[in-house]
Amino acid sequence: MARTAAILSALARALRRDQKSIASVVGNNFFVVTVLLLQEAGAFLYLILGLILLFPLSTDPLRKIPASRLSLWPLERRERWMLRAASPWVNPMTWLIAGGAVWVARGKVTAGLWGLCGGLIAACFVLSALPIAPRGGLWRRMPHFPGPLNHLIRKNLRGMLSTLDFYLALLLSVAALAYRASGRNLPAEALLPMTLLVVVALSSYAQCLFGLDGESGLERYRLLPVSGWQVLLAKDAAFLTLAVFLVLPLEPLAGFGAALVALAVGHYATVSHQREQVRWRFSAGAPLVEGLAQCALIAMAGSLVSHSVWVIGACVAAWAGSVWWYGRRWDGEAVS
Amino acid sequence: MITCRNLTRRFGEFTAVDGLSFHVEPGAICAFLGPNGAGKSTTVKMLTGLLAPTAGEVEVCGLDPRSKPIELKRRIGVLPEDLGLFDDLTVEEHLELTASVYGVDKRQAKDRIAQLLRVLSLEHGRRTFASACSHGMRKKTSFAMALLPNPSVLFLDEPFEAIDPVTSKTMRDLLQSAARHGITVFLTSHILPVAEEIATQLIMLRKGRIVWNSPASELPQALEQHYFDLVESPVVEEMEWLGQPRS
Repeated sequence: MARTAAILSALARALRRDQKSIASVVGNNFFVVTVLLLQEAGAFLYLILGLILLFPLSTDPLRKIPASRLSLWPLERRERWMLRAASPWVNPMTWLIAGGAVWVARGKVTAGLWGLCGGLIAACFVLSALPIAPRGGLWRRMPHFPGPLNHLIRKNLRGMLSTLDFYLALLLSVAALAYRASGRNLPAEALLPMTLLVVVALSSYAQCLFGLDGESGLERYRLLPVSGWQVLLAKDAAFLTLAVFLVLPLEPLAGFGAALVALAVGHYATVSHQREQVRWRFSAGAPLVEGLAQCALIAMAGSLVSHSVWVIGACVAAWAGSVWWYGRRWDGEAVS
Repeated sequence: MITCRNLTRRFGEFTAVDGLSFHVEPGAICAFLGPNGAGKSTTVKMLTGLLAPTAGEVEVCGLDPRSKPIELKRRIGVLPEDLGLFDDLTVEEHLELTASVYGVDKRQAKDRIAQLLRVLSLEHGRRTFASACSHGMRKKTSFAMALLPNPSVLFLDEPFEAIDPVTSKTMRDLLQSAARHGITVFLTSHILPVAEEIATQLIMLRKGRIVWNSPASELPQALEQHYFDLVESPVVEEMEWLGQPRS
């Protein structure tokens, strides 16, 4: 017990040092937007969304201890389980979200549902401790791209495919495709919102494009004889490849325009903050206000392109200008 | 080939590198020695354009890393402190990336990659993702990436640590061969016998300041003893509690 308490105390100290400001309270655009759109949907939905939000928001504190060190410590099985169960609670965000969930769902959610949610959380934290590294066949079979940035784009594709954002967007896209394939017509007024939801599901990743590169990857970027705009171009090419693929069954052009704007806005947070991300989680992007601004502009761009194809030119111009501007900032910040 | 004048780097109140001035000739192997925290890696970062100096001047291949960063990066090969590898690329893909970004001709690139993989015993792990490689494999990959573009200057931050004896010997031979062909090698190391064996110039650093800078041939005594005398002598203290029954 004393050993577990000592480790938890050290974890809490490390976590306190890591949460520098209110800006660390970040979220995932898709869940924030869904909560705003589904105000009448009921407490259970809030509860689920709140709990799912917990993962990108808090990340697993136990990850702060290197796995090799943790396995070397003379802890008994019981102590390891205690550590596993108690460690999320050293993060103040866990208390905040759990408290919020209880308050929202007071008296409306049955004990069984609470148990289900608790089980889901526990499963996610246990899963997060498993070493999942991209080694399989799919990761090797990335398409090749022309030019010197080929391997950087392929690497970025692999990175995006190891976030849950992609799979959430894929789920929406496949659902729309299946509906249309069944012979029924998706109402015209549903196509655009679905397209925008797909792009919004990916948009938090656009705010943390370097999140999976780690310190080592960032150092390599700075050593390569390439300009900042080329580094961002390689990131964006991967993002756009997947975004366009996912909006194909919906409104591809509106989706493309919205994805360009998601990147154009996301470059600011990408270059300025460089938030580290965890694989097989939802991306935790910029603070709430920035995230909402990004979503509003995505919706605006998608709608305008849907009404007039020529607006795509403005989206391309905004994106190109953003790549150039933040590429210069990247170059400047590389030597500081 | 490498020139520093009054090079200084401060982090807040702490001065990591304090007024370094030195010159390294083309084709030299310069060993930059010092204890942990002496400022070796900070100096390498400033020389390679990864970190801006607080004061002083740097020139590598006649270029200032601040005003001509891309031109400089095209001419140098670097094995950085944390190796600079991407988890989502395999060993071979790292080398292919380096070849294409540095503009190495495709045919040449293929030959060089095959040779580097063979010489550094990386052939069996060429399709292994960096995240799944051992530390030694990762270091060898980063070393191969530094050599592949045929740079004018090689900056190697602790290249021999965590490397097996055979690869270490191969790397030493490669560096000596590179130096004979006019490539300048600037390396940091804690392995003094290796530094003594291959270096033609020795610079010793203590608390961010140079305490020794000379050709290796002018060393007055064995390198290890000289290092202990000038930089830091080992703390020898008996720990009587070691091996005692635990309470």
